[in-house]
Amino acid sequence: MKTISLQPLTRVEGHGRVELTVQVGRLAAVRLVITESPRLFEGLLLGRSWQEVPALVSRICAICSGVHRVAAASALESALGLDIPPVARKVRELLLLGGHIESHALHLFCLTLPDLAGTESILELLRAGDSRAREGLALKALGNHIQELAGGRVIHPVNIEVGGVVRLPVREKLEALLAELEEWSGRLHPLVEVFADHRRYPPATAALGTRIAVDCDDFLLTGRSLRFSDGRVVVGDRYREVLEETAVPYSNTKHSRMAGAPLLAGALARLENAAGRASAPVMPEPSAAGIHGNNLAQGLELLWALREARRLVRELLAGDADAAVMAAVRPGAGVGTCVIEAPRGLLIHHYALDDQGRVAAADIVTPTAINQAAIEAQLLADLQGVTDETLLTDRAGRIVRAYDPCISCSVHVLKG
Amino acid sequence: MKKLRLAYVRFTSCCGCQLTLLNCEEQLAAIDEVAEVVAFDMASSRQDDGGPLDAVLVEGSISRPEELVELLRLRRRAEILVAVGACALTGGVNVLAGGDRIELCEGVYGECAREKLTFPPQPLLRFVRVDLEIAGCPPERSEHLKVLGALLHGGLPSSLPEYAVCMECRQRENLCLLLEAKQPCLGPVTRAGCNALCPSFGAICEGCRGPVTEANRAEESRLLLGLGLSEREVRARMERFSGVTHEDH
Repeated sequence: MKTISLQPLTRVEGHGRVELTVQVGRLAAVRLVITESPRLFEGLLLGRSWQEVPALVSRICAICSGVHRVAAASALESALGLDIPPVARKVRELLLLGGHIESHALHLFCLTLPDLAGTESILELLRAGDSRAREGLALKALGNHIQELAGGRVIHPVNIEVGGVVRLPVREKLEALLAELEEWSGRLHPLVEVFADHRRYPPATAALGTRIAVDCDDFLLTGRSLRFSDGRVVVGDRYREVLEETAVPYSNTKHSRMAGAPLLAGALARLENAAGRASAPVMPEPSAAGIHGNNLAQGLELLWALREARRLVRELLAGDADAAVMAAVRPGAGVGTCVIEAPRGLLIHHYALDDQGRVAAADIVTPTAINQAAIEAQLLADLQGVTDETLLTDRAGRIVRAYDPCISCSVHVLKG
Repeated sequence: MKKLRLAYVRFTSCCGCQLTLLNCEEQLAAIDEVAEVVAFDMASSRQDDGGPLDAVLVEGSISRPEELVELLRLRRRAEILVAVGACALTGGVNVLAGGDRIELCEGVYGECAREKLTFPPQPLLRFVRVDLEIAGCPPERSEHLKVLGALLHGGLPSSLPEYAVCMECRQRENLCLLLEAKQPCLGPVTRAGCNALCPSFGAICEGCRGPVTEANRAEESRLLLGLGLSEREVRARMERFSGVTHEDH
């Protein structure tokens, strides 16, 4: 028996490694070991005022800071029985789209494109004058520009508070953004085409795991329930009845499973589960790319996100500039849950507040915690028959990367 | 010009500082021209050669023995060590979970908790000499570029500003969120350098750049209490990025 270690995992957000156990020339076991330091957000949230929660939880992860902040605010609003003004909802959706564009562009062009081109990083591609890398960075900058406008700051946005948003984006800036978005139409499609070609990925088996995503309303990233690819729909508040979590000694992330079977969250799961909905982009039939098809799904979502951003900016420009952006908050006791789609998959925030509006319990389930069991199963399936050690570790890295894992998110599982 | 041998590493944190460098989309190619990026796991699969470094940028606080070992190794390798962001400078929001780590771990991980060797998160200065600081949660893109530029030309950039966010906010002629809008803004006690980013947007300063020297903390507390916040809430807000109210500063 021999254990081959891919350490550290690179071009992913966070610290981890893959351990591949080879027995008599055959891959027998796989472990994804998350070595990211525990940050124990529960010790930090319990007893704190509802007002502090959104700003604190955005620090769980920089790439997902916008969606964490929106998720926390929404869960607390649900706990306090609040409805936020419709225009505030639009600003939040715009922020989510900005985060989606930035995160997908980062993953596709900075982290994955080097694999397709056979380089160590995007820097070599820039040096060689690769136009795709350059355009990908421009797209990433567009996502950041949207986040800055809707969130007030690129990372750890300050515009989202419980009850709504602090302010509407400045009109002149929205107009400039609309012009920038218009300029992108037609420019994006050729850019994401490269991710559709399955020959650019290593040989793969079908993507494993029961797909799990928010049962979306007319906006792909939000909704009230969870939809599974086996047809079940479960209301968000009851997520604990369908998601089992187990702590494992070798990793600082808990595994999420549904009755023992791995779950798959992310762009691929989202598009497959939303098939047939007018609002969702159409994912082609399962391709030979297996889990690497998640990259194509992200590319399709980028096209969708730019369209949606144009619609939202137009609606904001047509709306009343003096409309209320914040609902009055009356703090008190309550329990609330938010299910929402982060760029890399389903994110759940759940809080209980005491009668003073202080956090009595907190629970956060992150996409990479959900995907961890599926990642291990997929590594084992896809790498069967590969014997060369370099090839084994190289492919393992690419499989893990396909999930767009966010490891610093995944260790911040809260329990209260 | 000789290329700078540079590493960007991260310990207990959210990736926000490293992401800030990657958010310099228009400057990445130029950075690549002047710097040899020896290690930057988040962005590159290049194997660290373990050789000497002109500079290492360090994000995050230290909360595990392995992190401490690596920090000491980096200190030996690097001529200049730059602490980046609130976690590296003061511990950041991590320190708010600094109590009994075993008990906290058990709450999250159950029986597996005892295998997690972890201690209350510490700023880098507790263990090594820090040559340069970039403040903020997150830090500014411009500050990253300024530091890289200075290192490249063989100098050190001027140290962090010794005046409060209020100075920059007043220069931008913003409405005062604390006195006029009656919101709990921490601008008067927070170190400047962000060009009053959040107050200029209309959101209160949450103090992410750390305390300014000689701040009038007593007066700030009095003003916040006057807005109806409880003592506990005032303390929580002023301690958010360091776990202490810095009364001794």
